[in-house]
Amino acid sequence: MSRTLRFSIRQVLTSLAVVIVFLAASAQAQHLTVDDVDRVVGQALAEAASRGVSNGSIAVTDRVGNILGVYVIDTSVAPMLTVSSGRGIPLGNGLEQIELPAVFGSLAKALTSAYLSSSGNAFSTRTASLIVQENFYPGEQGQPGGPLSGVQFSQLPCSDLLQFGSEFGPGPRRSPLGLSADPGGFPLYKGGVVVGGVGVMADGTYGLDAMVSDYDRNLDELIATAALRGFESPVDIRANRITVEGKVFRYSDVDLADVNTNTPSLVNLANYVKVAGYAPAGRRAGSIFGTITSGVRPDGRRDYPALDVWVLDDGQGATRYAPRAALAPVPAAGGLSALEAQTIVSDALTIAFRARAQIRRPLGSHAQVTVSVVDAESNVLSLARTPDAPVFGVDVSLQKARSALFFSRPTSAAELRAIGQQVLIPGVLTIAPLGSYVDAMQQFVGPEALSNGIAYAERSVGNLARPFYPDGLTGFGNGPLARPYSVWSPFNTGLQLDLVLGDIVARLDGSERAPQGCTALPQASSPSPTPGPTRLANGLQIFAGGVPIYRGEQLIGAIGVSGDGIDQDDMIAFLGLHNAAQRLATGVGNAPAARRADTVAASGVNLRYVNCPVTPFLGSREQRVCVGK
Amino acid sequence: MRRQIIILCLALASTQQAYATDDQDEQARRRPGRPEQERRDLPPIDPNAIAPPARILPRETIPVPDRWRIIESVGVKDNWLDPYNQNTLKADRPVFDDWFVNLAAISDTVYELRALPTPVGFQSSARAGSVDVFGQEDQNVFNQNLITSLSLIKGDTAFKPPDLEFRLTPVLNYSRVKVQEDRVLKIDPRAGTKRTDGHIGIQELFVDYHIRNISDRFDFDSIRVGIQPLTLDFRGFLFQDQQPGIRLFGTRDNNLWQYNIGWFKRLEKDTNSGLNTFGSKVRDDELFFANLYHQDFPVVGYTVQGVFAYNRNREGNDKPFYDSNGFLQRPASLGTERPSGYDVYYAGFNGDGHFGRLNLTHSIYAAFGDISANSFTSVTRNEKAKIRSYFAAVEPSMDFDWIRLRAQALYASGDGNPFDNHARGFDAIFENPQFAGAETSFWIRQPVPLIGGGGVAMSVRNGMLINLRTSKEHGQSNFINPGTVLLGAGADFDVLPELRISANLNHISMAKKEVIEVLRNQPLTSKSVGWDASVATIYRPTFIQNVVFRASAATLFGGGGFKDLFAVDGDSGKRFYSVLFNLILTY
Repeated sequence: MSRTLRFSIRQVLTSLAVVIVFLAASAQAQHLTVDDVDRVVGQALAEAASRGVSNGSIAVTDRVGNILGVYVIDTSVAPMLTVSSGRGIPLGNGLEQIELPAVFGSLAKALTSAYLSSSGNAFSTRTASLIVQENFYPGEQGQPGGPLSGVQFSQLPCSDLLQFGSEFGPGPRRSPLGLSADPGGFPLYKGGVVVGGVGVMADGTYGLDAMVSDYDRNLDELIATAALRGFESPVDIRANRITVEGKVFRYSDVDLADVNTNTPSLVNLANYVKVAGYAPAGRRAGSIFGTITSGVRPDGRRDYPALDVWVLDDGQGATRYAPRAALAPVPAAGGLSALEAQTIVSDALTIAFRARAQIRRPLGSHAQVTVSVVDAESNVLSLARTPDAPVFGVDVSLQKARSALFFSRPTSAAELRAIGQQVLIPGVLTIAPLGSYVDAMQQFVGPEALSNGIAYAERSVGNLARPFYPDGLTGFGNGPLARPYSVWSPFNTGLQLDLVLGDIVARLDGSERAPQGCTALPQASSPSPTPGPTRLANGLQIFAGGVPIYRGEQLIGAIGVSGDGIDQDDMIAFLGLHNAAQRLATGVGNAPAARRADTVAASGVNLRYVNCPVTPFLGSREQRVCVGK
Repeated sequence: MRRQIIILCLALASTQQAYATDDQDEQARRRPGRPEQERRDLPPIDPNAIAPPARILPRETIPVPDRWRIIESVGVKDNWLDPYNQNTLKADRPVFDDWFVNLAAISDTVYELRALPTPVGFQSSARAGSVDVFGQEDQNVFNQNLITSLSLIKGDTAFKPPDLEFRLTPVLNYSRVKVQEDRVLKIDPRAGTKRTDGHIGIQELFVDYHIRNISDRFDFDSIRVGIQPLTLDFRGFLFQDQQPGIRLFGTRDNNLWQYNIGWFKRLEKDTNSGLNTFGSKVRDDELFFANLYHQDFPVVGYTVQGVFAYNRNREGNDKPFYDSNGFLQRPASLGTERPSGYDVYYAGFNGDGHFGRLNLTHSIYAAFGDISANSFTSVTRNEKAKIRSYFAAVEPSMDFDWIRLRAQALYASGDGNPFDNHARGFDAIFENPQFAGAETSFWIRQPVPLIGGGGVAMSVRNGMLINLRTSKEHGQSNFINPGTVLLGAGADFDVLPELRISANLNHISMAKKEVIEVLRNQPLTSKSVGWDASVATIYRPTFIQNVVFRASAATLFGGGGFKDLFAVDGDSGKRFYSVLFNLILTY
């Protein structure tokens, strides 16, 4: 009896496994169709109408950031938004109180949710709101800032990594406002995989949720929740099931029980508007993630033979950022060879495949990240990712590599001082000379700061770039790279935004400028056929997950990692580099311990370098895996 | 010995009284509830003996101020410095009328060495090269409490409860802690690795009024109002604290039945001393309870007790509460961090005593009720969670000459799914377990912060339950917890009359591991916390309680679940231990 029962259970399990494998295979092939886009928009329209919303914008993107449709409810009046953290910070402080077409908001929200999510985690713009504020949780006194503080200024329109232009094509693609923290953006799922995102901008405020102990009834979020019907993420991977430091992320303050409608309204195709530089008029189907046309696909063990990693594709089948030798310094002058760059990325991804994910479910999932390696002049030498890494990490990993590099270079003080006052909107928005940040740094860290070759990891940069110093503690002023809290907000972070705000603002008129390299910092002095990127050519990033690369005492590049918890990102960068160094034995490796930023007391407090996570590896009880390395 | 002197003194006093009113016939000995004894004729007086004093002759007596001071005539002098012998300040004699004063002072000095899981300061490390979450674990604590107590008591306390008592017990605390990492002692990493603190707490401030006696055996009803000690069961499993309240209590049937009925509020505690604070807002938390003890049931020597308690917590409406070191205590930094209150009812059946040679303690609780906002499911609106949890503990022991052998077992139910709306983890109101080695064990004595899993402790200081509270002092009960399973054995060796050595070995594990798995986003391979081994000595050089020296050492051999969570002994961590030196001087 029991034997037959067991046998039949085995049969069932086997057939189940077959079905699961089949489903998984077909799930990978999911994408948003034109009908899906219409349905999502139609559902939003019905809910908006039920709530008396006369105007607003709804955007749908695919997973790699192609705009599948930007719908405006009333095309006779262009809906607008106002950027506001809700803290009464006046116009003239970063993006605060700036008025913009609402389509930019809806677009940024859709793209944010699609970019932050994966098959292991469904994150919304409310999730983003939770992790970019001055404390985590927002309002919890004394707690350090959001773990992804600064991520809102990634996916910038000026990024040299992201694909540019209005036409549908390979991703990942840029966002007009970076990532959004304004509730009302959700990822769209089909068959358990993320196929895109929807963003709603109807309440006119592009803000964030600073008060997380209550339950908002946010108009954008209510409409987006209605829009989402039929495309909901699996319950078990939603942000509110995933913990960091024992706290769950937030997904939504509303659910379908709060929604008035359940049938879509008819869409008017004429209301799918053009957004210059981002999307043509009309709507279209999304790409299938993982195909050549999506711009993100399996490597097929070509460039990284030992691993099942994915790489970026130019849409024609050619790998973007295939491993190559450094342009500056060239390998003969101590720079990274192609093999070294490839080995560092491989070893980092090897760590990722072993690492316990912090932001993914089910439990026991490994981390999914993107890894970038740059040379000493910010040229990308190698970039690859694990298959299901959230897309935002592609751009962010490169930002982190370049940022760690920038702060570790001895020329940064002078280069920042060279950027004088920038008048962005005469009489309204002016940025003071960036030398003030150097002054503050030198006051905190010492007169030689940013010119003495101290090795800064991204975590160290983050320590200095928060509105409170030490991070999270009120009453002692701001970090030297941040604005004072009276005018600081996630829309006005400090040096990070000041470096790129000019470019963001210049593009908001809808002009289709080609990427200019984001910042006014000098171009890399690298000999190459095309002009090299500027120092921080896709923007400065200010949260953990990147370290500089040295050969002995020579700074020769940096590695950046993004996609999982910041401790995981740290470890993958730091330990990946360490392991590669061991394997290569060419003198390449982490910064010598004596010149790392954790030897520096900034305003009486030691900076951190990296923070490798608790129980870092799956199936292992190893702890303290980074000490002494 | 002091007790004997009091009895002697009282015996003398009553003898004298008998002489003073000796005009009537001698009365036979009478005892309440017993038939009067028949008089017996005395045997013939030996004519060779000295004749007894004649009854009617004037007696040769020494005049004394009152009956309490009679023993001065035999040379016992009142020495107010001597707490052990006859002392007016120790309520051995009235100060006026039948009012007594009892002064007490206890110096409790603890020096503690320990190693427990310690994180590196998040924003700033104490030293360069700290590149992992787990930092260096050695810590030491010096803690000095000076407990002073003043009682004013009306009524002769020898045979019956006092009629009225006023008591004030202030406690002065000084503490000094040293750790190896920043942001452990204070949330501000600049506060460094040392912390010195002091506090004065009022641990007792009550009036106790003896309402009535209801039998010849002095069965009574009393009421006590104010800050007073309260223990709801024999071993402090559910609640043992000093809090303000009203308690009606008494005995019946020749003390065979004892009852307590009460209502208590809870004062905020001082974070570092655990003493009561004044001036802080009283916590929005109430305890209603009734318990009933029955002695000699089912056999002579065993006392059973039934208790019903209702803990009504309304702190879900309060602003967030941070302790004096800056850490969030309420709501717990856990799950959605939504503020929440709860109504929890405890029904308990406890017992303590012996069945023949077998000593036994047992405790069983069921806890049920509601949490107003489940911190894991309150996503789009507050979701209630039903508390359905239970607890059982038993400790049999047997004495073999100077050796007592003990076994101990405890089970507190755990929650297997934080994302449903049942809270199946047991938590106490304010535990202070006198069990399994109590504070001499590592697990009970030391807090184990759930590093990387929230601003909570896996188990709190002086607590046994794996309950994921922020702290015992400030935290709310948490019923979404892994639960606790303890199995162990111990022995007490009375090596000398003045020296006892105890040893305990307990295995501790979680009842369920899912809650911690969710909090750490990490699968656990085992529920085992590990083996807690401890040795403790109590040395009373003068055989009395006025000078007690205690020393103990404990260590935790991490089990599989613990090793999954923390850097434990081996290449990545060190052995966690707890060493205590404790000197108690009592006046």
